[in-house]
Amino acid sequence: MSPIQTVIVDDEALARGVLREMLAAHADVEIAAECGNGFEAVKVVSEMRPDLVLLDIQMPKLDGFEVLELIASDVTVIFVTAYDQYAIRAFEVHAVDYLLKPFSPERLAEALDRARARIAAKEQVPDGLVAAGRARQTPLERILIRDRADVHVIPVDKIDYLESQDDYVSVKASGKSFLKEQTLAELETLLDEDVFVRIHRRYILNIARLSRIELAVKDNRIAILADGSKLPISRSGYARLKELLK
Amino acid sequence: MHPILSDRRRLALYLLGWLPIGLLLTAGLSARASWPTAAALLLPLSIVFAFMSLNAGYLCRVFPIDARATLWRTLIVQVVAAAMVSALWIAIGEMWVRALTFIAPDLPVGVVFAERRLLLFVIGALLFWLASILHYLLIAFEASQQAERRAIELSLLTRDAELKALRAQIDPHFLFNSLHSISALTTVDPAAARRMCLLLADFLRETLRLGANNRISLADEFALADRFLEIERVRLGSRLQVTRETDPQATACLVPPLLIQPLVENAVVHGVSQLIEGGTIRIAASRGGPTLTIRVENPCDPDRPRRQRAGLGLDLLKKRVVTQFGAEGTVLVEEDGGCFRVEVRIPAEVAA
Repeated sequence: MSPIQTVIVDDEALARGVLREMLAAHADVEIAAECGNGFEAVKVVSEMRPDLVLLDIQMPKLDGFEVLELIASDVTVIFVTAYDQYAIRAFEVHAVDYLLKPFSPERLAEALDRARARIAAKEQVPDGLVAAGRARQTPLERILIRDRADVHVIPVDKIDYLESQDDYVSVKASGKSFLKEQTLAELETLLDEDVFVRIHRRYILNIARLSRIELAVKDNRIAILADGSKLPISRSGYARLKELLK
Repeated sequence: MHPILSDRRRLALYLLGWLPIGLLLTAGLSARASWPTAAALLLPLSIVFAFMSLNAGYLCRVFPIDARATLWRTLIVQVVAAAMVSALWIAIGEMWVRALTFIAPDLPVGVVFAERRLLLFVIGALLFWLASILHYLLIAFEASQQAERRAIELSLLTRDAELKALRAQIDPHFLFNSLHSISALTTVDPAAARRMCLLLADFLRETLRLGANNRISLADEFALADRFLEIERVRLGSRLQVTRETDPQATACLVPPLLIQPLVENAVVHGVSQLIEGGTIRIAASRGGPTLTIRVENPCDPDRPRRQRAGLGLDLLKKRVVTQFGAEGTVLVEEDGGCFRVEVRIPAEVAA
């Protein structure tokens, strides 16, 4: 049997050290990489496709859940944290175990046994479930986008508008656009409905960016944004916009 | 409790107050009768009425003048009570007159009393109302005193509770993370593990000890922060840097305990530890005349999720500064770009 390729993710060197030390007792576990932050973790995990990730939750920039959202769902995850309040959410995103710091070598061995069983069964977590765990944090405060190995974190208040492109959403923020693998309808349910409004089948607008509304042809309105860009407004979109501006 | 009978000093003052009334009544009557006649008749009766009027105290308790009571009912009760007490007084007067005629038959008390009976009845009723007003005033005075006392007790209790809350404020995650660091160090560097244990014990003990004081020196507060930062440095390594600018005049000042510690904790938990490269926490304290200024500044991630922003600790700090220093204390919180800054200004106090 091939060894279990494992990646350790923790922003604290000592915490990585204790895992490395305890994992040495398990011959079938091979440490493929260690990451000191979430960005590195996303990059390393998507490149190496390890079997197991030992993932800290409280990390700078990207927390453990955000890392999980951005990496492939076929990797088995054990969360390692000093915070007990995330346990429920951790199991909702199908983590095999949840280790509370400080933990004993026995407790880690138990978690590894579960991971071995999960890996042997080649159980895969349906994509929807990961998203469901994520959905608890609504309204969304930032949108995470993986562009190959790079990760962009876009705070929602920096977003100008979102444009649907089939199964993707193009996120326009500060003059740049980023492609996210998610449908516009899905994103719409996650965004703050007092700020973001679906003005058209293909567009969601950040209301703070709206400069004025122009009447193009009869019953055909156009939203002019602060930076001058123009977006079409559908009839039902106009009704929603009016409701929000009231 | 009766507002006058319950206090011997008050009762004495009350009876003393009746002396001029008795004399006044006597003087009023002496226009008609001789001095001895008026005095023999009215001085004892005044003293009797003084005691009778004490009944107003019970009446005032049962029919208080406050928002809940109906005013007209209280008025009717007072009118009826005054009439009854005064009538009883006149009856007692009647008996006293008979007794006097028996003891000193040459004094014409009987005639004088018969002539002035109605007037005395009216005066008696008025005096009873006067007594009622006095009792109402005393009751109100007692109530306000009691409210004041309760307010003081309450503020003492709140301060006590606040300190307990402060001492309980030691973040459990800080403890768990520290214990995890110790667990990691035990095999790699046992000496460092022991040092960390001692630091942690020191920090906990000092937090409890300082929290029990009303005021501590800023130097003590900073020493506590140093221990905390040293523990966090074991965990965060070179990501955590600290600089401090203080002048000895400032560190000699007295501050409420654990005033700065939450700021330093925030600077680590919500600031430096949320940055991949870490950063430098700048702590400064200076004294300008009557004002002590303490500033804690840290780099932060401007894009961090809102829920990670420091809230509770800062609110508590603001509340403490307001309750302890009123308008003389200010807490200024600023964030621009990637820099978070809290400035606390309080009156500079030094140990006597």
